[in-house]
Amino acid sequence: MGYDIFKDEVETVARAAALLEKGAFADPAAEEHFTALLADYQKLLKNMQRLMRLADRNEAKLTTASKALDEKNRMLENLSGKLSRYLSPQIYNSIFSGDKDVTLSTERKKLTVFFSDIVGFTQTTDDMQPEDLTWLLNTYFTEMGQIASEHGATVDKFIGDAMLMFFGDPQTLGVEEDARACLRMALAMQNRMAELETQWLAKGVENPLRMRIGVNTGYCNVGNFGSAQRMDYTIIGGEVNLAARLEASADPGGILMSYETYALVQDLVAAEEREPLRVKGIRREVRSFAVTGVGDACRLRYLTAKCDGLDAKCDLTALAGPAREEAIAAIEGVIENLRAMG
Amino acid sequence: MDTLKIGASARTPEVDFDFDANVYRLKGECYPEDIAEFFAPLMDRLREHFARLRGARVDFTFELIYFNSSSAKAILGLFDLLEQTAKAGNDVAIVWACEEGDDIQEMGEEFAEDLTAAKFRLQLGE
Repeated sequence: MGYDIFKDEVETVARAAALLEKGAFADPAAEEHFTALLADYQKLLKNMQRLMRLADRNEAKLTTASKALDEKNRMLENLSGKLSRYLSPQIYNSIFSGDKDVTLSTERKKLTVFFSDIVGFTQTTDDMQPEDLTWLLNTYFTEMGQIASEHGATVDKFIGDAMLMFFGDPQTLGVEEDARACLRMALAMQNRMAELETQWLAKGVENPLRMRIGVNTGYCNVGNFGSAQRMDYTIIGGEVNLAARLEASADPGGILMSYETYALVQDLVAAEEREPLRVKGIRREVRSFAVTGVGDACRLRYLTAKCDGLDAKCDLTALAGPAREEAIAAIEGVIENLRAMG
Repeated sequence: MDTLKIGASARTPEVDFDFDANVYRLKGECYPEDIAEFFAPLMDRLREHFARLRGARVDFTFELIYFNSSSAKAILGLFDLLEQTAKAGNDVAIVWACEEGDDIQEMGEEFAEDLTAAKFRLQLGE
């Protein structure tokens, strides 16, 4: 016998029916009332059984639908996780939190634009095997992407070996803080490049990558450009071109910035003024400043100098106290010899 | 013309009652937030109208895709009313439209078990 959740009620009906069967009622009116009451009770019991079956069925359907929905959600989360790698985290988060509409619209904002490139990339990598080149580039972009993420940059795009990033959209800390965050990031990147150079040399990379960086602050158009079917969240404008021009004029391993950026970060870094630039789309002559040193707030770890016949690198963390004096004496000895050679 | 028409909402079915022709239809999903608010006015109108009928032909069609337990209880009450109307000397036909093999079909068959005077017909779709 299976378990019957309505066993008690069924027994009640059976007992009531037995009473009627036995003719236990002396009063015919009472018997009639009792018969009607029993019929109503039986009906009520039957309806209750039906409703419970319906509730159970609906619950089972709901559970199945809920499981299917959970599965679908997991699939979508997985998919959006994969898609997110094609977008800057800030843009991805803005879209997924509903802060940004995915429509063709742009805004004009004052941003700090970062542009970088690898010096002589084609010549540097011409003789490399494709597998080695892939590894080198992936290491480079992964390391730089990590630093960009730590400093809150919006990574616009990777163009071959170049990177375009900006500060001030979708999140902003204010124009000044955005510029300072950008410069801290640029310094951290150059520091990391110097560390990577050691690793790359150890792994047999004959000509390690060296990066040039251009930084500019100015008004840009930022938003979704393209078509309704395929759009790109990016920045355009003369100030973006200027960042690229500054990058092209920067020293290998160096950072060149416009006066607009320098004015906002001058307490963070020491800089020397370079030749002014003329850029298409910008009427004025652009004053440019190369970073030559940093304040305590964001000190560089390495000092480097590289040109034909010279490749020097000073690790400042290893050159504390007497070691620094020895290094200065060694460099001065080299300078003296060079001068003596005429 | 005496009619009652209410459009379907996300939780309530479309109501299409033609009291002159005695043709009635409930169509859609039924899981109202307040069961009394939805069903009480319908039952009041129907009870009042059916009480006046003698020898009339009544066609009531249920085209429900989904209903919750409270709605099921209300529908059972509606079946009772139709059964009483049939017993009062009217020709009452209940059409239960649903997908073949659907749970709704089974529920309709169960609801019809107690009918003796009203006619019940399943109208199965694919």
